Amino acid sequence: MWSEKYRPQNISDMVGNEESRSSIMEWFAKWKKGTKPLLLIGPPGIGKTTIAYLVAKQFGYDLIGLNASDVRSKSRINEILAPVLGNTTILGTPMIFVDEVDGIHGRGDYGGAEALIQILKDPTVPIVLAANSDVSDKMKSIKKVVKIISFKPIPPRLLRVYLENILKKENATLSPGSLIKVIDKSRGDIRSMINLTQSLVTGFNPQTEKSFETINVEDGINAFFKANSVEEARGVLYAMQIDPRQKIDAFYSSIITSNLDKNTLAKYLEIISRSDILFGKIMKTQNWRLLRYLNETLIELYQNDDRIRYSKYNLSWPLLNRIRWDGRKIKSLSSLMAHKLHLSSSSFSTIGLPFVLFCIKNKKLELELEETFGEIIEKEMELIK
Amino acid sequence: MLSTGMWVEKYRPQKLSEIVNQTEIIGSLEELIKNPADMPHLLFSGSAGVGKTTAALCLARQVLGENVKDYTLELNASDERGIGMVREKVKKFTRFAGMADAPFKLIILDEADEMTNDAQTALRRIIEDTAKFCRFILIANNISKIIDPIQSRCATFKFTSVPEEDVIARLAEITKKEKVKADKKGLKEIYDYSEGDLRHAINLLQATASLGEVSQENVKASAGLAKTSDVDLVLKMALDGKITDAREKMIELIKVYGMSESDFLKYLNSSVFKSKHEHLSKILEVIAKYDYRILVGANPEIQLSALLAELGNIE
Repeated sequence: MWSEKYRPQNISDMVGNEESRSSIMEWFAKWKKGTKPLLLIGPPGIGKTTIAYLVAKQFGYDLIGLNASDVRSKSRINEILAPVLGNTTILGTPMIFVDEVDGIHGRGDYGGAEALIQILKDPTVPIVLAANSDVSDKMKSIKKVVKIISFKPIPPRLLRVYLENILKKENATLSPGSLIKVIDKSRGDIRSMINLTQSLVTGFNPQTEKSFETINVEDGINAFFKANSVEEARGVLYAMQIDPRQKIDAFYSSIITSNLDKNTLAKYLEIISRSDILFGKIMKTQNWRLLRYLNETLIELYQNDDRIRYSKYNLSWPLLNRIRWDGRKIKSLSSLMAHKLHLSSSSFSTIGLPFVLFCIKNKKLELELEETFGEIIEKEMELIK
Repeated sequence: MLSTGMWVEKYRPQKLSEIVNQTEIIGSLEELIKNPADMPHLLFSGSAGVGKTTAALCLARQVLGENVKDYTLELNASDERGIGMVREKVKKFTRFAGMADAPFKLIILDEADEMTNDAQTALRRIIEDTAKFCRFILIANNISKIIDPIQSRCATFKFTSVPEEDVIARLAEITKKEKVKADKKGLKEIYDYSEGDLRHAINLLQATASLGEVSQENVKASAGLAKTSDVDLVLKMALDGKITDAREKMIELIKVYGMSESDFLKYLNSSVFKSKHEHLSKILEVIAKYDYRILVGANPEIQLSALLAELGNIE
């Protein structure tokens, strides 16, 4: 991966954010027990993690790295950090780096953030934190006990110099049009710029202006199943730069409606199900970096299958209409009656409504309801056998 | 008015002493409310239709008297998915002033086991923060889904299912008051369908009575009404490999009728047991797999569709 291969080896190799970098150096140079920890804030891919590792190297610290997934519970934090904070002679000269600190979540154990703050208040070794954003409540309490250094997106002209340098080393070229688009698309995120360049340059498609133009959902799904090789399908998948939720749903709808035999259908839906789990986990933990694995799960769907065509909807029209019109009315009827019968709406429509309708149909029960419900009650009564 | 039209409401006990069966629980509750100020938070567990909600409502009425309307907040966790809604509603409810003669404000939270662990953790704080002037009655089918810190803050009462003779006696009492002809076989048939769920039994009784007399034949004609029968159908279609039909039926239940995904899985589970299918354990394994996936996934519909497709491939 180029973004790893070209991760700067020296602080002087880095680009952009000169002032922030020199503030970090200064902080390290002046560090003594009790100095407020550092919090680096800035968008992804601009060198927060890189500089932490490089500075540690330069000042001769042994960096103990943690990321959000380690920092979830108090016991885990103490387990990892207690030896560091206590007797420092065994471990040389340690420092702590907590990446993605904004990813510490309220889930599971609230003690995680608190335990961290306790450590931040009384630092015995240098502590550096990194975060993409500082707006959450959790960050507010962390911000009180640290010194903040902000990082900005890298300006296009620096990105260009950096990118051209890499291309030269790789003996690769990118058309001027593509170069500009790559830089523009990366919005100051060096890592994503390098990744995108690598996929273009080493890509399987001949490099054209089109090869990384975004493909719309419909063309993407159709091209995916028409592709002649898995590499081609992967290229299509990566080019579908749409919201991941939309991507999963588009595959789901298309597969559901393509009249597949039950074995193939089950096989495909299992893969979609796993993609959805991955997305669910990303949403719950806000670990967006896991998104990189989504396309690799979806690629398992690939086989040249000309039965599959893109479809936006995955239900028959009558059912879609029933959801839209009847569903809404039944929902408001249920929530009204459920309350009177001390049930949840779900329970009422399952074990209450059918009996109510049956009694009305047999003219043994009258409901005093608003007239607006008349129509739906008539309609549902008709459906009872 | 609906509440008198439906027999489940019309014949819902108004006092703790009128509740069918559950004598020990009723006895303890009556003791507890003699000194309402000392009443702890309560947790009622037990299967559906055995009197948990009724006991909570009776208790509210007996402790709060004429203030019961203003001093009771009834919520159903299955409707109020997020803890945010609960917090807002509870906050609003606890905020209004004027402690008339009532010893506390009462919050009845039904189907509390539908809440996620996170929501329960937040609820635990709400319970603590409002303990001075509020009491909670939490109601759950499955007590093991309630987190320990909440259980330890509540006095727990386990409701047992209502025995056959008590269900039949209650049904007979209602038919007498409603002047409906009923024979023993008919009432027995209702009991067999309802499996100790008195609410289901009374609903079925009323539906049957709307056909005329409560005979075995009429009970059978009404028994399939509940949407749980549609879940049986979904299972059958899926196992027969008719995935598209099964899926549309399932989505109709969830999106048109508002059956919750967790209710769907609950009914699907009992359908499997009723079906006595030869691959019972295999089927349950598949359901368990997707039940878990719904918890961690993002889109339950995708997970449920994949579930049906996998059921269709069990051989």
